[in-house]
Amino acid sequence: MRILLVEDDPTLRAQLRTGLHEAGYAVDEADNGRDAHFLGDTEAFDAVVLDLGLPVLDGLSVLKRWRNAGRVVPVLILTARDNWSEKVAGIDAGADDYLTKPFHMEELLARLRALIRRAGGLASPLLQCGELALDTRSGRVTLQGQTVALTSHEYKVLEYLMHRPGAVVSRTELTEHIYAQDFERDSNTIEVFVGRLRKKLPPALIETVRGLGYRLVPPP
Amino acid sequence: MTRWTGSLRMRLLLGTLVALALALLLAGVVLGGLFRDHVMRQFETTLTQQLDQLTARLVFDAGGQPQIDPQALSDPRWQRPFSGLYWQLDQLSADGQSRSGVLRSRSLWDSSLTLQADAMADGGIHVHEGLGPQDAPVLMLERTVRAAETPDAQWRLIVAGDLQQTAQAIDRFRGVLALSLLILLALLALAALAQVLVGLAPLRALQRALNEVRQGRVQRLQGDFPSEVQPLINDFNQVLATNAEVVARARTHAGNLAHALKTPLAVMAQAASAGAADLPALVQAQVAASRRHIDAHLSRSRVAASLQLPGQRTPLAPVLAGLLRVMERVHAERHLAFTLAPMDDSLAFAGEEQDLQEMLGNLLDNAGLWARSAVRIGAAREGETLVITVDDDGPGISAAQRDAVLARGARLDESAPGSGLGLAIVADLARLYGGDIALERSAIGGLCARLSLPRSA
Repeated sequence: MRILLVEDDPTLRAQLRTGLHEAGYAVDEADNGRDAHFLGDTEAFDAVVLDLGLPVLDGLSVLKRWRNAGRVVPVLILTARDNWSEKVAGIDAGADDYLTKPFHMEELLARLRALIRRAGGLASPLLQCGELALDTRSGRVTLQGQTVALTSHEYKVLEYLMHRPGAVVSRTELTEHIYAQDFERDSNTIEVFVGRLRKKLPPALIETVRGLGYRLVPPP
Repeated sequence: MTRWTGSLRMRLLLGTLVALALALLLAGVVLGGLFRDHVMRQFETTLTQQLDQLTARLVFDAGGQPQIDPQALSDPRWQRPFSGLYWQLDQLSADGQSRSGVLRSRSLWDSSLTLQADAMADGGIHVHEGLGPQDAPVLMLERTVRAAETPDAQWRLIVAGDLQQTAQAIDRFRGVLALSLLILLALLALAALAQVLVGLAPLRALQRALNEVRQGRVQRLQGDFPSEVQPLINDFNQVLATNAEVVARARTHAGNLAHALKTPLAVMAQAASAGAADLPALVQAQVAASRRHIDAHLSRSRVAASLQLPGQRTPLAPVLAGLLRVMERVHAERHLAFTLAPMDDSLAFAGEEQDLQEMLGNLLDNAGLWARSAVRIGAAREGETLVITVDDDGPGISAAQRDAVLARGARLDESAPGSGLGLAIVADLARLYGGDIALERSAIGGLCARLSLPRSA
């Protein structure tokens, strides 16, 4: 899952980056509204953490521009001000949730997980596909109740596919959502991860759609 | 604005003076004209009487020659040369030949009166201004008469009176009039000046009083002011009082906050220097405590900053709608049903929108935190009061806890994050507007918060 982190305070941004990395997210960053708008407009993200008080272009304006351009990426706004008029303004500008500073990293991660899940139309934090279950809260994957040990990249690929059950996901899309922008991308590595996942999980679970990508197929 | 029009005193004075001068000028012109008319009419009347007398004395002898016996005319001025009163008889023949000065008063001496011939009805008196003997301006009255003795001829009788005396009288009157009016103008101007000075004196007193306040010598505007200015003074004093109160509250808040933050800081400093084993956990706990203090004080300062301007009106429905959009997002995970009971769209709160948002936001958020599945919102008018109820189906709180939750200055260290404080802010804000909040047992199981606020028509 790939997150756009927009925060102008370098210390807080570094802390957030660390927390998001530790939670397994690929993170792209912007420290002003103009860069943030550009990135959100041109790249594919699974969620955005957006500070409202930004230099050059304020967070609300960035959000409104994205929404006017039809970008539906879930957005969590961060605000230092704790008044309701700002919260209403944020939600009305198209935010999906807000968090008031200061906050706990755990709360931010929980809300982010929920946003990403809801964006995929999934109600429960426990994603299931047949006997395979992925708990987005703990990052645990179980097959018939038994924990499956996955590397972080394997987990990221599986998590992305499980958020889109039955949908065809191209390698490029997977690459885009698993790596940050400045990462050396190579879609061949995706094949490697999928190959390893097939060994650890029922082989028929991840289907290759020739020329298009992969699809998670629930067992009949 | 120039120096002249910029001063209220100058403006009032100039305006009054201009108006006075115009009024007096008009009075002078009208009075002068009236006097002249009157004098002239009187002079004319005198001359008419003389003409009548003259007409009565005109007789014709057997030869048809006109005769006027000078002795029969009583006024001695007829006799004295250039006395200023003259008469003359002209003959106007039917064939157009006229003879001027057939008979003349002795006072005319060697001159005569010259008049244009005009066609005039018999018996009528015609008035002319012209030049008489020695080129003096005279008023001439003429009358044409016919005599049975001289059927071929008409006779014109002229009486002339010197206008110099009349003119002098008029001039004298005008002089006196102008002088009187000038004196009147001067007196009125002085009166106006006095009025302006006395009338505006309270403003200077006000300025002095303000100066005293600004220099910190007194807290309020003091002194006796006229009843027109006193309301202003009262209002201003009220502003000063509110201001002082706000400043005092802000100082108290800042002081309280500073003191409140000192404790966690001291604990952390102590722990750091002693090399405490569980430093991260301790810092976390102290930071959380500091955060609660800051939240509480920010909220309180928001209450203190409420403007409380009169005449404000905030429609309820849009504010509720906006907050419900927030609630649906924020509590999306919990799949709560926020239900808005049908309400009158015209319901409005007599106060600031931000304050209403703050109160309802906290109530809804609190309900959202505790509800199991549903939050119900209703609003109704009760006389001058707007009553908003927020029900949830959560665990509710005991009667004993209810007062503690609403109490001002409830001990913050005991309040769990996200609870208690919000309701205390609502209570503070509601009371600031003369409203109140009551916590009751809800019909759907949990807590029912009943917020009463002043209603705007």
